[in-house]
Amino acid sequence: MRVVSKRVTVGFLCLLFNPLAAPSFAQQPANDVKVVQVMGFEDVKPKAKGNLKLENGNLQFSDSKAKAEVAITSLDDVITGNDSQRVFRGTFGTLTMFAPYGGGRFLSLFRSKLDTLTIQYRDAGGGLHGAIFTMPVGQADPFKKLLVAQGARTSVPIQDDSNNTAPKADAAKEQKP
Amino acid sequence: MKRVPTISISFLLLFSVCAGAREFQAQTAPPPAPLKKVSSIQVLMIQSEEVKLPAEFQISLYENLIQQLQKKGGFEHIYRDGDKSATGDVVVLHSTVRGFKKGSEMARQVTTVAGKTSIDVHCQFTDKDGATVLERDVNGKVRFLGGNLRATLDFAKKTAKITQENFAMKSGS
Repeated sequence: MRVVSKRVTVGFLCLLFNPLAAPSFAQQPANDVKVVQVMGFEDVKPKAKGNLKLENGNLQFSDSKAKAEVAITSLDDVITGNDSQRVFRGTFGTLTMFAPYGGGRFLSLFRSKLDTLTIQYRDAGGGLHGAIFTMPVGQADPFKKLLVAQGARTSVPIQDDSNNTAPKADAAKEQKP
Repeated sequence: MKRVPTISISFLLLFSVCAGAREFQAQTAPPPAPLKKVSSIQVLMIQSEEVKLPAEFQISLYENLIQQLQKKGGFEHIYRDGDKSATGDVVVLHSTVRGFKKGSEMARQVTTVAGKTSIDVHCQFTDKDGATVLERDVNGKVRFLGGNLRATLDFAKKTAKITQENFAMKSGS
């Protein structure tokens, strides 16, 4: 019995740490991203922090207080970009402005990069809406790919990373403000 | 000694006659034709064909404009671009970006004087037949505090005020 249980344990561990199994987890693009909703979604406060995810053909934003969703097929345009923000924000960030000898100004030099995701969608009456989200750097493009794969439209084509034969300079570049 | 009050009284009389004449002239000058008040407004998506405007600024201009018009009040309905129910007594607002300077939030915070963000937008109000009823150039800017997108809020506040003053049936907030 002991030999059998040992073999089972070893077999389980081999399966768990199988190097071939690892990439399959890594290749899964995240369809649940932590974002800040800058503006746009109705019933959600501006600058609300929450999760943006794809569920049952809908793009869903949810935070602790509100929830809003839009059908992915109603998305007219999805555009990604990049921006930056102060590392020291909020109340502490405001207090640093009063720091002596220009300390606050010096701290303003420390900034973190972030991605932006801008969407345009239409409601049931045909009215055009827009929403802006910011998210950690490197997450906007994979999320856009997921949206486009599920039926969203975009005016800026996604750069195909798998096509290595084309020179990078000629490839369609997304507008980076 | 008696001459001084006489002279001063005559000066006062002359001044009051001149002022009265000026006022009369101002009253008789033809006032600009009042614009027709409407119950509804439709806001079209901001166009930026001449100027390359980042997508987030375009959406921010549009959404802030609708939000500010709702906040100001005075209209029964505020329709969005493409809304099929936008019919009847409605004025349409077309906005075209003519100039854009992105600026830098970091430069503003570090130097105070540099890094201004500025957006120049040409606003055209048309009636339901497409005839232009009012045209204005509106500028949105952020000089000191706040992110770059705050310039769009400045533009939206100014445009909502112009719209409310010229077209709103009810007096808003």
